[in-house]
Amino acid sequence: MHITTIRPLVLAVLAALAVSAGTVASAAAAEPPQPGAGAQTGDLADLSLEQLNNVVITSVSRQEERLANAAASVFIISAADIRRSGARSVPEALRLAPNLQVARQTARDYAITARGFNGQFANKLLVMIDGRSVYSPLFSGVFWETQDVVMEDIERIEVISGPGATIWGANAVNGVINIITRSAKDTQGGLATVSAGNRERDATVRYGGVLGNGGHYRLYGRYTDVDDSERANGTPDASGLRRRQAGFRADWDRPLGGLTLSGDAYAIDLAQPGRPDAPLSGANLIARVTRKLTDDSDLRLQLVLDHVERNQPFAFIERLDVVDLDAQHSMRVAGRHNIAWGAGYRYARDRLTPSLVYGFLPAERSMHWGSLFAQDEWALRDDLRLTVGAKVEHNNYTGAEYLPNLRLAWSASPTQLVWGSLSRTVRAPSRIDRDYHTPAVPILIGKVPRFTVGGGPDFQSETANVAELGYRIQPSLEWSYAATAFYADYDRLRTQEPNVNGPAYSGLLEVRNMAAGQTRGIEMWARWQPVQSWRLNAGLVVQQVRTHLKEGSRDSSGSAGVATSDPNHYWQLRSSHDLPYDMQLDWTLRYTGALEKPAVPSYYELDAHWLWKPRPNVDVALIGQNLLHRSHAEFGAAPNRSVVQRSVVLKLTLRF
Amino acid sequence: MTRYANLTVPKRRLPVLAALAAALLCAAPLPAAAAGGPQAALGVANLERGVKAAYLFKFLGYVEFAAGADPAAPLVVGVMGADDVAAEVTRLTAGRTVNGRPITVRTLRDGDPSAGLHMLFLGAAAERPVQTLRGAAQNGVLTVTEDENGLQQGAIINFRLIEDRIRFEVSLPAAERSNLKLSSRLLSVAYHVQKGN
Repeated sequence: MHITTIRPLVLAVLAALAVSAGTVASAAAAEPPQPGAGAQTGDLADLSLEQLNNVVITSVSRQEERLANAAASVFIISAADIRRSGARSVPEALRLAPNLQVARQTARDYAITARGFNGQFANKLLVMIDGRSVYSPLFSGVFWETQDVVMEDIERIEVISGPGATIWGANAVNGVINIITRSAKDTQGGLATVSAGNRERDATVRYGGVLGNGGHYRLYGRYTDVDDSERANGTPDASGLRRRQAGFRADWDRPLGGLTLSGDAYAIDLAQPGRPDAPLSGANLIARVTRKLTDDSDLRLQLVLDHVERNQPFAFIERLDVVDLDAQHSMRVAGRHNIAWGAGYRYARDRLTPSLVYGFLPAERSMHWGSLFAQDEWALRDDLRLTVGAKVEHNNYTGAEYLPNLRLAWSASPTQLVWGSLSRTVRAPSRIDRDYHTPAVPILIGKVPRFTVGGGPDFQSETANVAELGYRIQPSLEWSYAATAFYADYDRLRTQEPNVNGPAYSGLLEVRNMAAGQTRGIEMWARWQPVQSWRLNAGLVVQQVRTHLKEGSRDSSGSAGVATSDPNHYWQLRSSHDLPYDMQLDWTLRYTGALEKPAVPSYYELDAHWLWKPRPNVDVALIGQNLLHRSHAEFGAAPNRSVVQRSVVLKLTLRF
Repeated sequence: MTRYANLTVPKRRLPVLAALAAALLCAAPLPAAAAGGPQAALGVANLERGVKAAYLFKFLGYVEFAAGADPAAPLVVGVMGADDVAAEVTRLTAGRTVNGRPITVRTLRDGDPSAGLHMLFLGAAAERPVQTLRGAAQNGVLTVTEDENGLQQGAIINFRLIEDRIRFEVSLPAAERSNLKLSSRLLSVAYHVQKGN
């Protein structure tokens, strides 16, 4: 019933947009050619260097084309895509990737995954910001509310669906997200933005300059204020936040290498129902050296320091310190082998103060991860590349884990690539799997102290064996298309099992590995740019995510255990117009199929972004999100779940 | 078989969705033919390649090449790993001269020597950029790349996509190694100039 009332509206909106697209395209065609707008290539030779500097290129970037050679399901979100979408947070920018499921749970909480197993504590995706892994060893997932980046400083976001464990290690089970910010030399000068809307406000100031010794730097400060969202019954859900963040990046380029230093510090107040805001804070520092050792070999060294404090006195208080060292050496051997190998060491000290409700035992834990990997990309023939690689990663819960992969890529023609891969990957236990106890103090059952949930002393790594088959084609510069079929077999998935007759201080329930599952599906996306001023992107994922309990399992957890909440299919259609008078119009129509457990109806939504540049250094943008409905649910169990509401934002950008 | 009793996803929906997918994605190319024919489409979407080709032509006028035997001999531009750019440079330099010298464009393959070239453009598809750039430097060739790390690899000029515009950066140490003098006007337009250590 819900859907039938929506559909005519969607069609009407689509029709209107299609008509406007047509008129705009023809209007643009009728105008006399201007340098930079519709100049033919013959005329380009007559332009001066300065004029060439100002020709606006809206077609696909080289980076994207180079990835046309990658034997993996990679989607690149470009800086232009982010700017033109009006996204002002990392999770909203990730909606641009057709191979990601992004569900907004509350004003600040998101459930994000690729290829299934979504949840607020989704734990099979690895996320990195400039090479810094932002996953929490508490639950192998990401606290999205603490990840913020100045959107204008993002160079691109690489979204890889499928396993990436051989390079990136355990946790890169279903995908890898790499957020890459621009070099400081590409962000020179000043930038100020202010956004104000009915649901959120934010402001950013950034300044980039030159350092005396040939380097470049930038400094930024950012403030974000997000209102609470509503529950389905209209009551506020206390899920807003206020975030203050500042940071820097400095880059020194040298003929045979470079040095990058960057850091961020943030303080966040999380709204709490009927209580004072919960303060969160953190800081991180990255140092990265790249060095060309010889013509055929490169070295990269990286050190990351990360500190996080979460003060949620009614849940837990956490102090986490991470030191992460990573070295990678790549070389070309005998013209046909590209060999990369490297080693990493990661140390984390996690100190938790329990609340009455639950705790982590031991309260303080030092964790170590050591890894070693090697990979050879071997050109068997000019058009055939075989990649063989493996990683051994050691963690203090389960010891050594082996993460091999095998990939074959065939360039059927210069514009076509067919590839296949076989991988084994694991999700290593995190503290929530092993150390989680509730209540914080054991209760006496027949004079024996017991926990309701007593961690998972025997919890092992979850494993996945994955096969992929992909095809990419770019018949012309105007048009490209990619499809990936995947099948993954998961074993030892997390369950919660009754343990009634356990010894003292054990749990009545324990976390174990008594489920398995299979996922299969196909991811597709296409880009079409019929004219310089109009681009269309479409993406579709059709998938089956099946899980089942193994024999002997009496898992009762439902929501915390093996249950998955994934749509059978989701798609998006994104249109980008360049309009006359320095205006741009972008809109995205997206659809997400119904979720089963907990049940969430399918929905359509429309986002739109109109941008006008009254002067070269001034942008005015009007951003509308979730325009089709006053509110809709994306995740969680009714009736207490939060809904996502329609929002309108005005954004001003000034460059100086 | 009982293990699979918990399957929840209804199977029959998949063919429907696959058909929908096919329809959605196959629908796109149809309007292309109607929109203005291949010629119009080619002209616009090649803009990025065209702009780079135009830059390459312009660069020739802002460099002092070592004097050769014949001051009226053609300026020779080599292009490797970017056949589309080679075609564009050929097209837009046809009938044009730089300081009275005509321009010849050569499409090169990996391993081809750079001797005799004045300028070499290495496209993103070039296979061994570092060796090629080193060889070109020894031959006094103006090298141009389109790689994030182009200057680090030894190129003199490198194209970058900055805020939807093709900009270029210049390495003065690399130019010195190739005994090339770049005009100050070229440097003033570059968005970034790497100076010596």
